[in-house]
Formats: sequence, C-alpha cells, structure tokens
Amino acid sequence: MDELELLKKDWQKQEAALPRLSFEEIYQMILKKSSSIVKWIFVISVLEFLLWASIDIAVRLSGKYDGLEVAGLEGFSIVSTVLSYSILIYFIIRFYLNYKRIKTTDSAKILMQNILKTRKTVRHYIWVNISFLVITTMSIVGYLTFFTDTYSQQSADEDIPVFLVIAITIFVMAVTIAFIALFYRLIYGILTRRLKNNYNELEKLEL
Amino acid sequence: MNKELEHSFVTNLEQNQNIVHKVCRIYTSDQDSHNDLFQEITIQLWKAYPKFRGDAKFSTWMYRVALNTAITLYRRSKRSLKTTDIDTMNFRIKAEEYDDEVEQQLKLMYAAVKQLNDIEKALVFLYLEDKSYKEIADTMGISEVNARVKMNRVKTKLKKILNP
Repeated sequence: MDELELLKKDWQKQEAALPRLSFEEIYQMILKKSSSIVKWIFVISVLEFLLWASIDIAVRLSGKYDGLEVAGLEGFSIVSTVLSYSILIYFIIRFYLNYKRIKTTDSAKILMQNILKTRKTVRHYIWVNISFLVITTMSIVGYLTFFTDTYSQQSADEDIPVFLVIAITIFVMAVTIAFIALFYRLIYGILTRRLKNNYNELEKLEL
Repeated sequence: MNKELEHSFVTNLEQNQNIVHKVCRIYTSDQDSHNDLFQEITIQLWKAYPKFRGDAKFSTWMYRVALNTAITLYRRSKRSLKTTDIDTMNFRIKAEEYDDEVEQQLKLMYAAVKQLNDIEKALVFLYLEDKSYKEIADTMGISEVNARVKMNRVKTKLKKILNP
C-alpha cells in the first residue's frame, strides 16, 4: 500500500514537530504516583479480601455461631472456620504471586494475560466464598429443620411450615447473590472492558 | 545509588523521549491527554528501569513498556471524551516538497489511523517506526505470521476508511 509508505515517510519527518521536555520536567514526573489500571485492580482486590474477611469476623464476633454449638454443631463450626481461613490464605498467596508476575517489559499479550489472571483469582475467591456461604447456610438450615426439634417445634408454635423457612432462605440467598454478581459486573465491567477487548483483538490474530 | 539511577534514567529518557511522544500522539487526541499518557509511561518506565540490564538498547526496551502502558495500563481520563479536542495529529510540519494533494492525503491518513482500535494502532505505530515483523511480533506477543496477517488486515481497513 503506497499510502502507508507515504505516511511512513512523513511520520519520520514529523519528529521535529514533537514536544520536547527538559531533564527537570521528566525528573518531576518520576516523583509522581501511577494511576494505572493495575494499581486500581490491586486496590480493589485488597478491599475485596478485607471485606469478605471482615464479614466473616463480624459474624463470628456477633455470636451467631454460638447458636450452632447449642444445636450440637460445634464440630461443623470448627471445620468451617479452618476451611474459610485456609481459603482466604490460599487466595491471598495466589493473588500476590500473580500480581508479582505483572511486568510491563513482557509482550503485550503476556502482560494482558497476567493482569486478567490476577482478576480471575479474586473473582474465584468471591465465588468460592459465595458457594461456601450457600453450602453452610443450606446445611445448617437443613440440619436444624430435619434433624433437631428446635425448628420443627418453633414452626408448629408460630405456624410457619418448614418449606416456607427453606423457601425464604433460598430466596434471600438468591437475591443476595444476584446483587453481588451485578455489583461485580458493574465494577469490573468498567475497569477491564478495554483490557478484555484488546486481549480479544490480539487473540483474534491466532489463526 | 538511587540518585545515580535517577540521573541515568532521566538522561536516557530525555534523549529518547521522542518515542514516548510518538506513542502519545497515536493514542491521544488532545494536549492534556498527551501529557497524561506521557506521565504514566514515564512512571512505568521508571518502575521497570532497575531491571533494565542494558543488554538491549534503551530505546528498544522503551517501545515495549510505552506501548504496554498505552494499550493496557493507561486509564483514559474523561477529558479525552470532550468534543472540543484539538487533534494533536494536525500539528504537523508541512513538508516543502509535498503538493497540496499529497498534504491532503496525509491528513486523511492520519485521521484514518485515529479510527483504528488500540491493537491496530500499535501495529501501525511499529510499522511506521520501521520495525521488522519479528520485532512487531515479539512486542505484541504473537507469531510473526500473525503479525503479517494482521498488518495486511489493517492496511485493508485503512483503505476502506479512506475510500468508503
């Protein structure tokens, strides 16, 4: 294409029209803080870890788990505590390792892959947490409903049928999950849309 | 030690700043965004500098970091959405030997490049910088064959923009 050749020639001539910064101006720039997408992803991810960890701690401190012990679920409570902290530690380590791998000196494709990977780790963490929440809630409600007298008696007293308790639990959980999912779509949609588009564009090249 | 590093970095960048300005020129449309992107690329270059071993030329090393920042790391500020933007591509030196027709054609070409997506701009930029397909492939992280294929597609796309 001769037009592009023409452009190439002109492009090289245009060097003289480029701005020129002084040593001092450039020096001032290296003292400033970055506002790159990686930094934002890092900050938001750390906030997510903190948020979920603090929800867990808040629930424990509020004494919600004491009820379990009364109901004979101490073992379950211990297992769930150990499990949830192991999950947290595992994901923090993975996130840190992924984050360390992000290097601007890699090729564009590798760089994008590594950034998307750190995102994915945090997303997995969120989904593991949600599943964890669903499974524990369901098993506790199930256990209390079918294997102890607490709920069946309560239900009889207050005229709430068992299926209604379960239905409400499922409904509340579904709404919560839908809300969280929407929230994430919005935040990361905005943050990584361009990155994903560019990555897909690059992938498209692979025949 | 740190002062030394700072000094050698700023000196290097000052000498090679054209590369960064050219990346900014391809990816931004007004002076503020140009400065913004230049700032971010400088920070990213500085962050990566301690690992720069000098086994490659400083300028070669810069292309990667600068393009990666423009394509991936840089978050466009809202400013770049303003309609009153002055296109920095239009601040050109009119070459003496060109007649008006060529000059007009060049203007259209620059405007067409602006319409490409981020990846296509990167390919065109490296092409304009006279980089080999091998270098283009390495910088983008794709195979040489794919770099060629994609470059041909970009040329076709440019043609279509110019002759709709």
